[in-house]
Amino acid sequence: MTVSRDRPLEPPDQSLTIAVVDPSRARAAVLEEGLRAVDGARVVVIPDTADLPDRLMALAPDVVVIHLESPSRDLLEQMFGVSRLVERPVAMFVDRSDAAMMQAAVDAGISAYIVDGLRAERIKPIIDIAILRFNAFARLQRELSEARGELADRKLIERAKGILMSAKGLTEDEAYKQLRRKAMNEKRKIVDIARAIVTAADLLG
Amino acid sequence: MKLQLGYVPLSDAAVLIAAVTQGFTADEGLAVDLVPEPSWATLRDRLALGLLDGAHMLAPLALACHLGLSGPQARLIAPAALARNGNAVTVSLPLWEAMAPASDALPDVARALVAVARRRARDGRPLTLATVHPFSSHTYQLRHLLALGGGGLDLVRLVVVPPPRTAASLQGGAIDGFCVGAPWNSVAVAAGAGRIAALGCEIAPGCPEKVLALPAEMASVAPPLLRGLRRAARWCAAPEHWPDLAARLAGADRLGIDADLILRGLAGRLRLGPGGPERRTPNYLMLGEDALAPDPGAVDWILAEMAAAGQIASAETLRVEAATLYPAGSPAA
Repeated sequence: MTVSRDRPLEPPDQSLTIAVVDPSRARAAVLEEGLRAVDGARVVVIPDTADLPDRLMALAPDVVVIHLESPSRDLLEQMFGVSRLVERPVAMFVDRSDAAMMQAAVDAGISAYIVDGLRAERIKPIIDIAILRFNAFARLQRELSEARGELADRKLIERAKGILMSAKGLTEDEAYKQLRRKAMNEKRKIVDIARAIVTAADLLG
Repeated sequence: MKLQLGYVPLSDAAVLIAAVTQGFTADEGLAVDLVPEPSWATLRDRLALGLLDGAHMLAPLALACHLGLSGPQARLIAPAALARNGNAVTVSLPLWEAMAPASDALPDVARALVAVARRRARDGRPLTLATVHPFSSHTYQLRHLLALGGGGLDLVRLVVVPPPRTAASLQGGAIDGFCVGAPWNSVAVAAGAGRIAALGCEIAPGCPEKVLALPAEMASVAPPLLRGLRRAARWCAAPEHWPDLAARLAGADRLGIDADLILRGLAGRLRLGPGGPERRTPNYLMLGEDALAPDPGAVDWILAEMAAAGQIASAETLRVEAATLYPAGSPAA
């Protein structure tokens, strides 16, 4: 049960169906947009739901790109690899010699299933795009959560300043300077001092 | 030395987790990061491609990866076992009602399961049973259970569900039953979704369950790691440590479930169904120092099971290569 597809002497722009399966809809959209740039590619995002195996079988894609955290990832591997439920044999990473590509893909969270017999030069750009897009998405998420944290910190400092201003009759500038001095003396972050003040005020108020 | 070691959230990762959280590996000069993985296939890929320095791994999957039967091939060594037994087969409450076995004895349960499986297969609605990975003792235990009842895996639709998702899949009706390790059977029972039908320790007593798998080129870290694991195995085997161990495993960064459900498995006192009877089986999950030594017979057992499940054509041709997974002269010496 190896190469069963008849694709001899195909022109390089021959169309290619890529299925994207990802529990994160936003990440799937980012990947879909990137993969559209692949020559002759038709990209279909399939939701990670119970009917996924049926929908995949109906679509009969040449490549399935699935996130490693996807709940259905193991099920697909079983479909494609062991139980041979699908007619067309599919293998993960056809070109096993390219260890660096495989490592980068898995590090980025990508698993790919590829129709046996599909040439390496057609697979590589797909995996490369997926790696770039997934890594960019992870970086964006990290930045977003950092930005959220900074915003929360700033709000906390504003509240602490307000508490100091009304409790001690200080100006905003004086309140901030007191916070900063305390933080420097105690070798802590301003936001930690602010949190302590807000917590104390919540308890006492 | 810094190490990234992967695990799948299960009670039988206890020895590895305790070795790190109790400071036993730090005492050996190892700075270990424990990395939870969402499924066995993902853990295997990350280990095989060098993104993990070692892992808590299904013994059959470690062998399959070593032989190039599953995922990217990687030369591995398994210098220690981490657990024996620990699995159970849980079925949905409707399936348990349909089975209505004469007793909880294994042959009665197996016959009742096969009777329903035959009926459902005949009606064109085969039972859907889940294993945690094709190359797992779970697959083989399901096969044995069905064989004991006079049937086989061909009667059912076998799917793969990662352990932490088994209870929810049963509750959602996506599967009719599963074979999984502790504590996920107890989680399904506590959720009111399932009835524990059979215990792995009765289907295949002393089953080689999890191993510590390392890439062959990491062999030099095996001795200090094993010293830490041995201390952890002794610590985990002492009943007075079980509440503490259960609490450590229960944390949101580990298994993320009620510690009491983990304690049931550690103590070998399983509640079989919602409001159902309690079974006491001290061998349900074996974590102690005795379980740490890799069993020289494990390779033969696993190869025979792979062949019986149709995963390999013949055990004979793979025997010599398979034996290289278990380095000679290890570990508990």
